[in-house]
Amino acid sequence: MAQKNIAVSRLIPSEFFEPNLRLYSFIFLIAAASIALYLFPVGEFKGYIDPFYSPTILVLPLVGLYRLTCYAYRKDYNRHVFKHPVACPVYTRMDGPQRSYTGETSSLFKVENLHRYFLYSAIAILPFFYYDLVLSLMYSGGIILRIGSIVLAVNAVLITLYVFSCHSLRSLIGGRKDCFSCMANASGRKKFYDVQSGLNAHHEQIAWASLVFIVFTDLYMRALSAGIPLDHVIFHILKL
Amino acid sequence: MVAYDRVETDVLVMGMGGAGLRAALEIVSRNLKVVLVSKSLLGKAHTVMAEGGIAAAVANVDSKDSWQVHFSDTVAEGVYIGDYRMAEILAKEAPERVYELERYGALFDRTPDGKIMQRAFGGHTYRRLCHVGDKTGLEMIRTLEDRVLHTGNAKLLDETVITKLLACNGSVCGAVGFSLRTGKFIVFECKAIIVATGGLGRIYKVSSNSHETTGDGIAMAFEAGAELRDMEMVQFHPTGMVYPPGVRGLLVTEGVRGEGGLLFNTKGERFMLRYSPEKKELDARDVVARAIYHEIQNGNGTEHGGVYLDITKKGAAFIRKKLPGMYEQFKEFAGVDITKEKMEVAPTVHYFMGGIRVEPETARTNVNGLFAVGEAAAGLHGANRLGGNSLADILVFGRRAGISAATYAATSVAPKLDYREAEAEISRINSFIDEAGRGSTNPYEIIDELRDTMSSKVGIIRNGKDLNSALQTITVLKERAKSVTVKGGVRFNQGLLGCIEMEKMLLVAECVVRSAIYRKESRGAHTRSDFPNKLKEWKLNIICARNGSKIDLSTVPVPEMPEELNALVKPEVYA
Amino acid sequence: MKAENKKEEGAKTGRTRKFKVYREDPTDGKGGEYQEFDVQVEEGMVVLDAITYISQRVDPTLAVRWNCKAARCGSCSAEINGVPRLMCKTRVDTIDGTITVGPMRAFPLVKDLVTDVSSNYEIEKLMPEFKPKEGISSPWRMNEMDVGRSQEFRKCIECFLCQDVCHVVRDHHAAYIGPRHVVKAASLDMHPLDTLDRSEWLTADGGLGYCNVTKCCQDVCPEHIKITDNAIIPEKERSADSLYDPIISLFRRFSKGKADRKQ
Repeated sequence: MAQKNIAVSRLIPSEFFEPNLRLYSFIFLIAAASIALYLFPVGEFKGYIDPFYSPTILVLPLVGLYRLTCYAYRKDYNRHVFKHPVACPVYTRMDGPQRSYTGETSSLFKVENLHRYFLYSAIAILPFFYYDLVLSLMYSGGIILRIGSIVLAVNAVLITLYVFSCHSLRSLIGGRKDCFSCMANASGRKKFYDVQSGLNAHHEQIAWASLVFIVFTDLYMRALSAGIPLDHVIFHILKL
Repeated sequence: MVAYDRVETDVLVMGMGGAGLRAALEIVSRNLKVVLVSKSLLGKAHTVMAEGGIAAAVANVDSKDSWQVHFSDTVAEGVYIGDYRMAEILAKEAPERVYELERYGALFDRTPDGKIMQRAFGGHTYRRLCHVGDKTGLEMIRTLEDRVLHTGNAKLLDETVITKLLACNGSVCGAVGFSLRTGKFIVFECKAIIVATGGLGRIYKVSSNSHETTGDGIAMAFEAGAELRDMEMVQFHPTGMVYPPGVRGLLVTEGVRGEGGLLFNTKGERFMLRYSPEKKELDARDVVARAIYHEIQNGNGTEHGGVYLDITKKGAAFIRKKLPGMYEQFKEFAGVDITKEKMEVAPTVHYFMGGIRVEPETARTNVNGLFAVGEAAAGLHGANRLGGNSLADILVFGRRAGISAATYAATSVAPKLDYREAEAEISRINSFIDEAGRGSTNPYEIIDELRDTMSSKVGIIRNGKDLNSALQTITVLKERAKSVTVKGGVRFNQGLLGCIEMEKMLLVAECVVRSAIYRKESRGAHTRSDFPNKLKEWKLNIICARNGSKIDLSTVPVPEMPEELNALVKPEVYA
Repeated sequence: MKAENKKEEGAKTGRTRKFKVYREDPTDGKGGEYQEFDVQVEEGMVVLDAITYISQRVDPTLAVRWNCKAARCGSCSAEINGVPRLMCKTRVDTIDGTITVGPMRAFPLVKDLVTDVSSNYEIEKLMPEFKPKEGISSPWRMNEMDVGRSQEFRKCIECFLCQDVCHVVRDHHAAYIGPRHVVKAASLDMHPLDTLDRSEWLTADGGLGYCNVTKCCQDVCPEHIKITDNAIIPEKERSADSLYDPIISLFRRFSKGKADRKQ
């Protein structure tokens, strides 16, 4: 097995076998967002608010820092930007004693230890995604469900899952405690911790999925405002 | 002139399994010097292979359990030739040893009300085995290892092979060995030695034991003058893996049958219905092992020499939940998906009830200053061991051996060691190494032939003819062993290790075979087709003693139990 | 049916495979090289079978450490085609082509495939020992829901493959004790009755900050312990609690002051 990987990795960069799409998509997103924000403002379109223009934009730096200090992204950029190491098999890791290394002990990277504060801000921002969703549903009076609202809903759910599968949250809700049964409502909290741990096991995948979907949402909104007829009304209940 | 390092200590502990580590703790706590020696790396001893649990009547699950019941189970299952006093000590002290291990940091599975969880096991009247999943032995050795490392006063010489115990005026006073890592010879000077080197499972070809369990300690103690007992008693586990050859003998837990696994021969017949119509697959280990053996002997076995164990009908979800270890083991090693395919199994050597004869309270042997404990010692299990009693054994008697060795060392004067004897042993070891090779024998040819012979002729069902033929083979092998040499140096030389283990294996194998020939009845693990019945006049223990280069056999009667203990045990029945 | 089986078997067992095994004796100063051996393979054979065959039948001077051959003791750690693995758990038929077997490079070489892993026991000695609460009535009571987390780490067989694969330990010789020992610390910290918090020690003396969560240790663990997710990251979070979190440290200072005043 290992032999095969090594043979193939000589033809194609070994990064392609690593779950590093998150990183590339993150870089792409930052670039796309910057360009889009300043060159092609869209803002609101028929009750849809592009995620980049909702109030969340005000705290974009915090969201960026939340992702930057996230354990999943740390793995990615430590592997693929800093190459410490690129991969685990010893022939392909591209790390070595000749390279200096300080890990997360340098002053800059000690910021990683404050991931929890970025988590707090991310939790604070979450309701706005749902607020935007509700606005899109209330557009035109009454309740209207369009594909665009579903896109916004999926986006909100994915971001929620990403935030709630966070390692810092896992520590906060029980990871830091040695004894669950000593806490009030022990079995409930243990259950919550277990469910969150189950989510946490997929944190890397969720992180990536939510990132991709933000871009998709943005593109969808842009397509609509550019006049491409993608949207479709599923049902519309008029105000009685 | 031979070069060697000298190591001086009060007590030398041979073996870093549970027993050796537990003993060392007692010695350290009495401010005596202790050196532990082990062939393998610290923490790799055969104790890590123990799965089921520690038998201790803490009565957390079944409140009716008590030391009396544990005692009675142990004596009866040992078919009444075990040492009643050892069984009594074990049953009484095991609970405290378990709690002590917990205070050292071991983390057992829990009952709903937070006590130590206990599971059922064959031969135990009540649910009695305190366990940590199926890794109880690993937890035990890690906990003790941690404790010993933190005492700071125990000197640990792992990857060191001891080849000979030295005696002075009838007392042990030292040992000779060498370090695998440095290749340096070491002469140990000490007042007391504890043999905690485990059993001899690897004198058999098919065994569930670690590969270092070659009976070294038993052989060396014997050569130093210690008496051995019950050497014919080798426990076979009914189900070990058969294929692929590399993992032949690897244990297939009793849990598979416990969860509903059924045994079939190649004709598709569920043969246990014939051998044991009532208990079927879940009869005692020796009964099932004999049944499987007969099926294979009668030509109803697979081409790899096994029968089928089938649990597929329980469904994939159930199997993966209840037997995750087995699922993984078969998938990784055999490429067999036990949720879809049948397992191939055959009996495998599992434990050695015999060993060095010891005083029950103190673990002393008949040689001054020499103590033995655990699988290397004999007596507790009699003719058959109960699952879980071995882990209890190493804790209870490990502690006792440590205390008595420390007491002995504290009160005795260091004997004068004869260095010429040590140097002669070093020269002897060195003489195995011969660059030219002299066209001589590879020790592993002899070891493999010995293993084949033991597995085919000294197996589950024995008979006088086969046993004598095995004895003959051993005699021939002993002669051939004289011409064994290897290339290379002392450091991590597998060949040299083979030479040393070969000698020990041949010696203990001869004791096993001679004792098996001597016992003319069938009792517990020792079944003879030519003497199929258990006989009252054989309620004896066979003792092996060294007489020059010969092995002397004799018998001693099993001591009568005091009335109050006798009343606890159901009386022995003869057919 | 039977004949067919035999034929298949013959085809399988008749094959020999090329093994490149690392040979070096550091005491002779000649350096090391890979030596080739052809070994006949049987179905289901593991790499350790081939290596023990060589060391018992072909060249007894080949140094190799092994014991249980059942993936329980963690002795036979090596680098097989560059991947740290247990030799006894690596089936030959899962690898195509030549099989290269070398020692764990993160540790000083003793000889051939054997390395000196004793540094791990030295680290273990420094680890603050299990310290239970005082005055709890015996026998202890613990809730099943509290023991599971620590028990995961107790599956560790100390094969030290995680130490070997860790680029911090292997390449940078930074003052980091390595994944195995963070797992050990976590197993003690998460014992429901343990009173110590080793996270500060892990960061100050154990160099936990050097770990950059690249998760190779978690990938190679033969016991499938989630080393990074369940041990290292929780310990990092705990050390963030005790060392880096400004609000927690303010709060602690406040409550400590209050306690001091009370006394």
